[in-house]
Amino acid sequence: MQPATVEVRHLTKRFGDVLAVDDLSFSVEASRVTGFLGPNGAGKTTALRMLLGLVRPTSGQALVNGVPYRLLAQPVRTVGAVLESSGFHPGRSARDHLRAIALATGVTLSRVDEVLELVGLRSDGRRRVGGYSMGMRQRLELARALLGEPAVLVLDEPANGLDPQGIAWLRSLLRYLASEGMLVLISSHLLAEAAQTVDEVIIIDRGHLAAKGELADLLGGGGSTVRLRTTEPERLVSSLAARQIACRREEGDAVVAESTTPEAVGRVVAEDQIVILEMTNSTESLEELFFSMTAGGSLPTSQPAST
Amino acid sequence: MTRLVRSEVAKLLTIRSSYALVLMTAVGTAGIGVAVALAPHNHGLQRLIFPARGTPAWYDIVFSALALAEDFALVFGIIIMTGEFRHKTATPTFLAEPRRGRVAAAKLVVSLGAGVVVMAAAVLAAFVLGLSFVAAGYGDIGEMAGRLGHVLPGYLAATVLFASYGIGLGALLKNQVLALVVGLGVTAVVEPILIAAWPNVGRWFPSEAARSLETTSRLAQSGFGADLGHLLPSWEGALVLVGYALVLSLAGSLTTLRSDIT
Repeated sequence: MQPATVEVRHLTKRFGDVLAVDDLSFSVEASRVTGFLGPNGAGKTTALRMLLGLVRPTSGQALVNGVPYRLLAQPVRTVGAVLESSGFHPGRSARDHLRAIALATGVTLSRVDEVLELVGLRSDGRRRVGGYSMGMRQRLELARALLGEPAVLVLDEPANGLDPQGIAWLRSLLRYLASEGMLVLISSHLLAEAAQTVDEVIIIDRGHLAAKGELADLLGGGGSTVRLRTTEPERLVSSLAARQIACRREEGDAVVAESTTPEAVGRVVAEDQIVILEMTNSTESLEELFFSMTAGGSLPTSQPAST
Repeated sequence: MTRLVRSEVAKLLTIRSSYALVLMTAVGTAGIGVAVALAPHNHGLQRLIFPARGTPAWYDIVFSALALAEDFALVFGIIIMTGEFRHKTATPTFLAEPRRGRVAAAKLVVSLGAGVVVMAAAVLAAFVLGLSFVAAGYGDIGEMAGRLGHVLPGYLAATVLFASYGIGLGALLKNQVLALVVGLGVTAVVEPILIAAWPNVGRWFPSEAARSLETTSRLAQSGFGADLGHLLPSWEGALVLVGYALVLSLAGSLTTLRSDIT
C-alpha cells in the first residue's frame, strides 16, 4: 500500500470579513506525528475542517492521498478524525453511536467493540453518552476515528479534557500509530505537550504558514545559549571572541555565549585553561520558537505551558 | 445507499425520543377518539346532525382522530433531520458520508418507514378504542373494523408523506426549534386562516393537501360544518405533498445542508 499523504495547496477560507485561513500550503508525510500549531484563532480548526470536507474552502485545495475528502471512495477507512465540536446524542450509548457509523460505512460491527477496548471504554460502552465525562467523550471520539482502521489520523486539540494519565496514554498511542506507518496530524495550542509528541511542526499564525520543519531542526537552528561562570571573565570573553563565538559579559563573573554549542565553548575553555565555576546550556524551547514565529503581541498570555 | 438507510434506522432505534413519539401518537389518538366519541349528540353546531353512536358514520368521526398521526409524523421527520445539527452528530455523519445529499435521501427513505410506524401506533390505539365501544354495545365489530379499514389508506398516505415533508423542512431550516415552529405553525395557524380567507390558496398547503387524501366521510373531515369544496383531488393532494418533501429536501441539500459544519 502506498504511504498516505496529506497536502494543502493555497488553501483559503473567508468567513465574511474574516480571513480565517490565508493561502496556506503544506504537505504532511506518513509514519510520523506532525504538530499543527498556532495560537487560538490562528485558523487551525478551520484548516482541518476543510481537509475533512466539513468546511468548503473559499479557494485552494486540501487533499488526502491526492483527492479532496468528498471524493474519497471510503473516507472513514482512509481518514480518522477527532474533532472538538463533534457531537453525540446524549441518549445514545457509545456502542450504538459507533455502530450507526459502522453501518453507514460498511465497517464490521465487531470492530466497534475492538475500538472501545482500544480506548479503554469497553466496560462503559453500553452506557448513555450523556453521562460521560469530557475525557471519556474524547476517548469515544478517538474510537470513532479509529473505527475504519484509517491510514491518516487527524486530531484537533485531542488533549482537551484528558487528565495527565490520559494525555500520556494518548501520546504513546499516537507514537505507536506513527511507528506503524500512520500519518498523524495533530493540532494543539499546548506547546510543551506537543513538543513531547511530534516529529515535525507546522506553525500557523493568522491563517498563514509561519514555519514548518523537523522539530529538532527548528529548535536547533539557532544553536544553544551557553552560560558560564568563571574566575576570569575578561579572559574568557576575549578567548571566545578570538574564535568568533558571540559572547557578552553579564553581572559578576558570568559570561553568555550565543548561537554556539557547549562543545565549542568547552574546547575554548580547555585550550586556554580557564577555570570554570559553572556552565549551563539552554536550547530554544518550542514555546520561544512559537512566540518568535507568531505575532507575540496579540497572543493570550494565559496559554498553559504544560499540563 | 442501503448502508446509509440501515445506519439511519439504527440511529432511530437507539434513542428514546423515537419510542416516546410513537407512544404519544397512540395515547393522543385514543384521547382524541374518546373526546370525539363522548361529544354530546346535539351540541347546537349549525344544522349538523351528529350521527348516532355505533353507526358507521359515527365510527368515521371517532377514527378521524387518526389525523393526529400526521402531526406526529411531521415532528418525527423534523427531528430525524434536525437532530443531527442539534446534537452536532452532523460532523460524524458527514465524515462517514461526505456526499450530504445522499444522507438526506436516506433520511427521506427512513422517514417513510417512520410514518408507517407512527400510523401503526395510531391505528392500534383506534382499534382498541373501537373494540371498547363495541364491547360497550355500540355497533358491531365487523362494521367498526370495516370503517377503520376504509379510512386507513388515506390517513396512512397522508402520515407517511407528512414525515417526509418534515425531512424537507428540517433540511431547509436545520434549526430544530425553528423547523418545529414553522411546521406546526403552518398547520395549526397559517392554514386555518388561509382556508377561511382564501381557500383556493390554502388548499395547496400541506395539511389541506393531506385532507384531500383522507377517505373518511365528509362530515368527519369537515370538522363539523366547514365547506370542503376547495380541496384538491386526492391524487393532486398526494403530488403536492410529495412535492413539498422533494422540493424542500432538494432545496435544503443545495443550500443549508451544504453549509460549513463548524
